[in-house]
Amino acid sequence: MSYQKIAENVVKTALKLGVDEAEVYIENNRDFELRVRNGDVETVKQSTTKGIGLTVYKDKKLGFSYTSDLADESLEEFTKRTIQLSEVADPKPWNGLPDFSKEEKQIGLDLWDPSISEIESNKKIDIAKEVERIALAYDKRITKSYASSFGDSESETIIVNSKGISRTCKETGVGFGVSVIAGEGNDMQTGGWSSNKRHFKDLETVEDVAKEAGKRAVEKLGAKPVKTIKVPVVFDRYASGSFWYGLLFALNGDSVYKKTTFLTDFLNKPIAAELVNIIDDPTIPRHVGSAPFDGEGKITRKNTLVENGVLQMFVYDSITARKAGVKVNTMTRRRGYKGPASASTLNVIVKNGNINRKKIIEGITEGFYVTGLRGMGTDIPTGNYSVGASGFWIKNGEITFPVDGVTLGGNTAEILKNIELVADDLDMRGSLNSPSFKVSELAVGGKQ
Amino acid sequence: MKRYFQPIKRREFIKKGMAGGAVIATAPLWKLFSHSLPPPDITSNPLLDLDKDTLNKLLTIGLQNGGEFAEVYVEYTVQNSIGLDENKIRAASRGVDMGVGIRVLQGEKTGYAHSDDLSLDKLKETARVAGLIASGEIKQESVALKEKDIPNYYLVKTSPDSIIPQDKAKLLWKGNEVARAYDKRINQVGVGFSDVNKKIIIANSEGVFVTDHQTISRLMVSTSALENGKRSRGYAYKGGTLGYEHYDLQGAEELAKEAGRIAMAMLPAEDAPAGEYPIVLAKGDCGTFFHEAIGHSLEGDGARRKTTCFWDKKGEVIASEIVSLADNGTVPGARGSINVDDEGTPAQKNILIQDGICTAFLYDKLNAKLMNTKSTGNGRRESYQHYPIPRMTNTYLMAGKDDPEDILKSVKRGIYIARIGGGNVSPTTGRFVFSVPEGYMIEEGKITTPLKGIQLMGNGPDVLMNITMVGPDLEIWGGGTCGKAGQGKPVSDGNPTLKVAKITIGGAKIQRS
Repeated sequence: MSYQKIAENVVKTALKLGVDEAEVYIENNRDFELRVRNGDVETVKQSTTKGIGLTVYKDKKLGFSYTSDLADESLEEFTKRTIQLSEVADPKPWNGLPDFSKEEKQIGLDLWDPSISEIESNKKIDIAKEVERIALAYDKRITKSYASSFGDSESETIIVNSKGISRTCKETGVGFGVSVIAGEGNDMQTGGWSSNKRHFKDLETVEDVAKEAGKRAVEKLGAKPVKTIKVPVVFDRYASGSFWYGLLFALNGDSVYKKTTFLTDFLNKPIAAELVNIIDDPTIPRHVGSAPFDGEGKITRKNTLVENGVLQMFVYDSITARKAGVKVNTMTRRRGYKGPASASTLNVIVKNGNINRKKIIEGITEGFYVTGLRGMGTDIPTGNYSVGASGFWIKNGEITFPVDGVTLGGNTAEILKNIELVADDLDMRGSLNSPSFKVSELAVGGKQ
Repeated sequence: MKRYFQPIKRREFIKKGMAGGAVIATAPLWKLFSHSLPPPDITSNPLLDLDKDTLNKLLTIGLQNGGEFAEVYVEYTVQNSIGLDENKIRAASRGVDMGVGIRVLQGEKTGYAHSDDLSLDKLKETARVAGLIASGEIKQESVALKEKDIPNYYLVKTSPDSIIPQDKAKLLWKGNEVARAYDKRINQVGVGFSDVNKKIIIANSEGVFVTDHQTISRLMVSTSALENGKRSRGYAYKGGTLGYEHYDLQGAEELAKEAGRIAMAMLPAEDAPAGEYPIVLAKGDCGTFFHEAIGHSLEGDGARRKTTCFWDKKGEVIASEIVSLADNGTVPGARGSINVDDEGTPAQKNILIQDGICTAFLYDKLNAKLMNTKSTGNGRRESYQHYPIPRMTNTYLMAGKDDPEDILKSVKRGIYIARIGGGNVSPTTGRFVFSVPEGYMIEEGKITTPLKGIQLMGNGPDVLMNITMVGPDLEIWGGGTCGKAGQGKPVSDGNPTLKVAKITIGGAKIQRS
């Protein structure tokens, strides 16, 4: 029996047992993972996993269960038990499935590469060995390999609900990477890089990935803290992720409803400098962050979060949107079959500005070019921002020495307003993509 | 040419995986539960129908390509949770996972495959795939499994899995009521109870055959406060390898008051100052500091690969002489305690640093063997979907002799860390950061202004040398889930009151000197 059929049967059973609404989510994955160290294969891991998550609503009460046992006779018992669990919950008038419109049509996003299953094991091993070999040879100061790896996956996601929605998506992922260590003793630095794509032939070259990893390890050698100071700070495009995540978490619709985020009162108001534009767009063909439908089965679309610095929308799932009484495009994500969908962006893009990153750095007399951040940083209720940082010190428009062991401190609301320049170097590599940008002033905490 | 493993025809592999879902499993799991609540305690359930003979067969198949070691890990896990927020029980949920992971080792090589389909055919195929890592003559024809008695460090009389959610809900209502009554500026309260109940069977080609029932439970209260646009949060929890008998209404009330107190204490907090300061860490809830900043750099995989900052420091001074650090899987009831690790090795107390000298690393079987030593009982894995790696259990700084009051008095201007939040570390450089959910200024030896946005930053080796005072008041307490190599594992930690002479504080405020 196909998983879609199994899902449809469980929904039918639940309805027969008296629930008002039901939704089934099934995931079926096949993963392969290979690790090489010092030229030898170290680990090979193959796995198949599957599971089902069932959400039921009865008299506006929610029940949820999951299981990895999809045998027919087990599933009826499973369904009964989920309904029993719903009896414990309190009714909430906003509970229930999302609304679907007739216009919602699933489109192909080219997320499945049939050739993934045809890649020979020896080829995977060769890629992992080669990327390690080239990275180790990049510079004589590189002393050790942490590991290199190759992985691929095929997965099938199914959402069926009692509103007649029955969706499936098959997708692939493939990637390889390497991490090496430069230096010895008290000055060891790691540098890693990888390439991850939907289609095998979209992967970057082994040389490019290896050299980037090598460069990243070596360039940080001798990094040291600086004295505590307030200076202009440039966030590198690959280092700004945790900063943007702080903003995105603060946009959570439920936190807004509960007034527990610092952005509670900022809808349709400026929250950032005018040159800041942020969208969520999971509809880009072949992109790793793309998805045809979200965690509740809603067809995905492009949404504008921040336009010219003005906050356009908060991020809701259908239940929190109903509770808050707002009409919005919901955005949700599933973290596997073990939990229901919850509000989340899917593929965030901070839009390019129109200045070269090098030009930005050239315009700074003394400042900090941040290429690594450590820790989450943003306190959602207050917007306080504090993280560990590493990178390079800028003096008279030039990069001088590597810096590590310092912190950045400020407030997210102020940092957003102090974004002075946005570079034109956006590189779409994941589900959060940003160009480099300059903040006019930030506290760098280091030695006294 | 060396052949590491035979290429599997991918299509075939997937097709089998897909068919797996529809194939009938050996034990129809939900049959184990009755129609009406409560479900029987999982520990009383006959698990999966995997007897010694079957395990033996699987191990033998795993070894058929010449592997040196084979292991079967069987897991059956039930997770329950129930949550309250906005004055309503949000939902009760329940989940079941079961599966088998099979590992084969040859030299430094690991082959791992797992299956959630428990039909014998599928398990045999899983063993075969894991065994493909090896090549050469068969080294072992059969296995003689011998059941092993293990000690018990869990404080479980009543399994939380046997308690109906309606009963657990009473704790949540109590927590909610008390936290909301604590102060009218508290605007949101969340209360949750969760329990993870795991039964594992481990069998390996060395003859080890162990069964363990693991229970981890937690009750947590979180609060938010709001006044004139100022916001703050608080939380408090109790948890560990504890049975339901450790939770009652009075306990819920205490947690709620503590969560309320923290939110209110932090409401007027000021921006933390950036720069280098001495810090005093309060006893008990700052042990995460040692787990992250030092513990990860003493794990045996990094030591073997020479990728941690301490790999060549065994027998050498790496800390001030008042520093002794332990990782101890045998603390009764602690969240990181285990009767056996996920390779069947009994838990033990390992002294990692004794009077400032690095004395041991934490090992699993593979890394221990390659380093000519023995497993320290730290081979742990998140689930049957993962192979074991060296992991901490309960990590703590051991008690010293300095009076906690003297420790505080010795600081003219510094930071008091009442509790440490999340953190992370690079084991290679030893560099770490931590957030601090509750911290204060110390001025002239006294705790003064509450501070927000404190971030502690530094590196493990420096901090160890800079610990200048340690109190006698060790508490091992709380804990959380540690993430490493994509695997989450419950751990706990602890510390007595102590002083670090200087550390970098990240904050928004720059002091004018």
